[in-house]
Amino acid sequence: MRRFLCVLTLVAMLSAPADARIKLATLPVRERVELQLDNGAYTLVEEERIVPLLKSTAKTGNNMIDFSWSNTSIDKDSIQFRPLSFRAGKDWQPIGKANGEVEINVINVAYPPGENSLVWEVFAAKAGVVKVRVSYLIHNLTRTFNYRALANKDETLLTLRSFIKLRNYSGEEFGKAGVWAGFGPKFLKEVGQQEEIQMLVKRFPEVPIVKTFKFDWYSNGQLNPDKPFASEILMHYELTNDEKNNLGAFPLQPGKVRIFIEDGRGGQAFLGEDVSRLTPLDDKMELYLGQSRDIVCSRIIEENQRHAVRGNLHHQEMIIKYEIENFRDKPATLDIIEQLNRDAVEYAGNPHGDAEWEMGEQTSRELKFSYELGNATPVLHIKLAPRPKDPDEEVEKIVVRFHFTLKNVW
Amino acid sequence: MVRFTVSSILVVGLLFIADSNAAAKNIDLVTLPNRDTVQLTIYNSEDITLAKEIRSVTLKRGNNRLQFSWAGTLIDPTSVEFRPLEHADQIDVADTVFPGQKPQHLIWNIESKYEGQALVEVSYFTSGLTWQMDYVATSDVNETQMKFRGHVRVFNNSGEEYENAEIRLIVGKINLVEKITDLARRQGIDMPATETAKYKGMKELEAKKAFEKAAFAAFGSGKGGATDAKKVVKEGLSEYFMFSVEGSETIAIGWSKRMPAVSADGVAFDIVYRLRSYQYGPRPVRFFIWRNDAEHSLGESPLPDGIVRMFRENGHDGLSYLGQQLLRYVPIQSDIEVNLGTDDLVIVEQRKTKTRRNNFQFDRRNLVAGWDEHQDWIGEVRNYHAKAIAIEVRLQLAGDVELTPTSPTTSFDFRTVETKLQTDPRDNSVFPFTTVIHQGTNAKQNRVMLRRSN
Repeated sequence: MRRFLCVLTLVAMLSAPADARIKLATLPVRERVELQLDNGAYTLVEEERIVPLLKSTAKTGNNMIDFSWSNTSIDKDSIQFRPLSFRAGKDWQPIGKANGEVEINVINVAYPPGENSLVWEVFAAKAGVVKVRVSYLIHNLTRTFNYRALANKDETLLTLRSFIKLRNYSGEEFGKAGVWAGFGPKFLKEVGQQEEIQMLVKRFPEVPIVKTFKFDWYSNGQLNPDKPFASEILMHYELTNDEKNNLGAFPLQPGKVRIFIEDGRGGQAFLGEDVSRLTPLDDKMELYLGQSRDIVCSRIIEENQRHAVRGNLHHQEMIIKYEIENFRDKPATLDIIEQLNRDAVEYAGNPHGDAEWEMGEQTSRELKFSYELGNATPVLHIKLAPRPKDPDEEVEKIVVRFHFTLKNVW
Repeated sequence: MVRFTVSSILVVGLLFIADSNAAAKNIDLVTLPNRDTVQLTIYNSEDITLAKEIRSVTLKRGNNRLQFSWAGTLIDPTSVEFRPLEHADQIDVADTVFPGQKPQHLIWNIESKYEGQALVEVSYFTSGLTWQMDYVATSDVNETQMKFRGHVRVFNNSGEEYENAEIRLIVGKINLVEKITDLARRQGIDMPATETAKYKGMKELEAKKAFEKAAFAAFGSGKGGATDAKKVVKEGLSEYFMFSVEGSETIAIGWSKRMPAVSADGVAFDIVYRLRSYQYGPRPVRFFIWRNDAEHSLGESPLPDGIVRMFRENGHDGLSYLGQQLLRYVPIQSDIEVNLGTDDLVIVEQRKTKTRRNNFQFDRRNLVAGWDEHQDWIGEVRNYHAKAIAIEVRLQLAGDVELTPTSPTTSFDFRTVETKLQTDPRDNSVFPFTTVIHQGTNAKQNRVMLRRSN
């Protein structure tokens, strides 16, 4: 069994000759512990202890405070000792000055060889009980974030619960400790050895979501041999981290998101899980849900014609036809990502950098374009109506075309 | 008093020789004068310390043999010097003998016209005593001002305990032809290599014993008695700077001791973000910048190399750890820049919005040989912080490039341009620009030329 030891020992000199000195050792307990988890890579522990100090005199010398630890991995060079206040009756008074000198002052720190310990030499202008804060960086005390998202049956709103999980494998037991992630509430928890504690940071009800469908031929390839021109349609929930969308309390940290949906009968169904990236305030979080089987999109190169310019320089005129069917009972918007650099390499030649291109007249008017992925990777948006309510009526196959010319290819 | 000597013996033995022919005999009378004072001047750029001891010896008229030995230490034998401080005109070192049978010994043959007690100085280079700085900066919750503290930490792995030593620390880079440890280990002498298990065990045992018996002796203030924090006096010395620790200190073998050396409160600092993908990677990094001058309650001395650890008051009666960095030597009046790493709340993106090519040149076979590539770009800084930020964006471009910015932009070097922007809280700034890259035979230069936008 691992043994923890993190001890603050007060050693006071009672007489001058070193050999004759008697050590008075007290082991002040922790009065307060704070675990600061706002830095993802390092955890800062701050502990407050009440230390009785003797007045430093020429005869008795200064106070010696020994801090040692074992079976725990503390960054020795990060340890700080800060006197905070003197006890005056029931009250605590800030450390002041006496005769122009700071009442409590750390003279030096001595580090013995081969030991996990150090010794502070502390000057005290008067005897008294002092509250001190010792802080240090500790290893293997980490935190992760995770989320639980519950969508309503219509997939328009979502309840997002944000959790922090504290994992204490530091070898140290902290007792009742304040735990703070740098945002959200501060928790007071009993933190034992090898314990993992999950805490709810915040519940965000009724967060509006947009369900998106993406088609990207070059990223996802052929759907299956039976449908050689179709590709996967990837589904995402998109939510915006701002107050308007009932979020915006703090940046959402990266973490695993488990996504559930209400089944309409008082129960819930598991939709899948994703690892979210950091979502700052005002930014969008995108949660991958899996593949849609009810929207089918095929991509066919309908036209591929070379127009010589001079020598090996030419333009390449292309028409890509998309045939789309929506078998869902709800409308949807399909986002088609067309990677023109890959088109150029496959059908035209070397674009020598990003493809230079022009839109053609035969491009379907139903298509709306956006360029958040760059000019050479346009995103084509097409609105899809739900499948007909009449089961005997056929699902409409929507056909749209993207007509463009890749310029100056050789 | 507890001594932390391990197997180290540093002894000055005075041998009065009754018979001058009996030079090989270390007999007759040997006195062991104690050190009166010790001064250690420790350099941080090399493992070298100049130790000066002052001792009282009693001399007789005529020839005196004085033995000096340093078993178990890391002293360079070629550096040991003897210098009389009193009656110097009457005391001469006739010669110095390094006996072949006795490693780590030397004998001075002293010719003295004076008889009686005299103060002498013995100086030598030793290794194993080192020092380093470290810094702690704690900013206020709003990140506008900080408390800045610097500490010197002296390490004693020399194999010798120097009690009540006056300590001086030299900041600066000196030149050494040979390492002192190499000189100390010559002639097949078994030295207390600090890396060996034997030495380590020895150190630990001694230190442990000392700690158990009398903790204070190991780290107590030199002359005893209560003291407030010692001042570290800083002064210039040629191209170097010397930090002198007030009073005296005892540092036991294997121990190290850390003392406050620099203290400044209310140090104002600026926060600047920098995007330099060639230097800091693809994401912007955050810098705290201030100056080693009086305006920032500093500037008393250069700041030697050392780790600086950055904290911030977190507004919840505690600290946040921001990061750490090795602070390189900072001269007086020079800027101090601490890189706190990437910040997830500041994002810079550059997007190419248009590409077109023209001005084609063809070779004799009618193949494309040269062309100009026109690119339209939009750079965007998004600031998710609740306060405004300043950001410097440097772009390094290869080839023959003409760049036309729409934001104030300057050339940093022949291939790098710099744009400085201010971005409001939870807002964004854009910096569109266009480039014309001359490719193939059209490329006549290898530089970025800034063009004015129309």
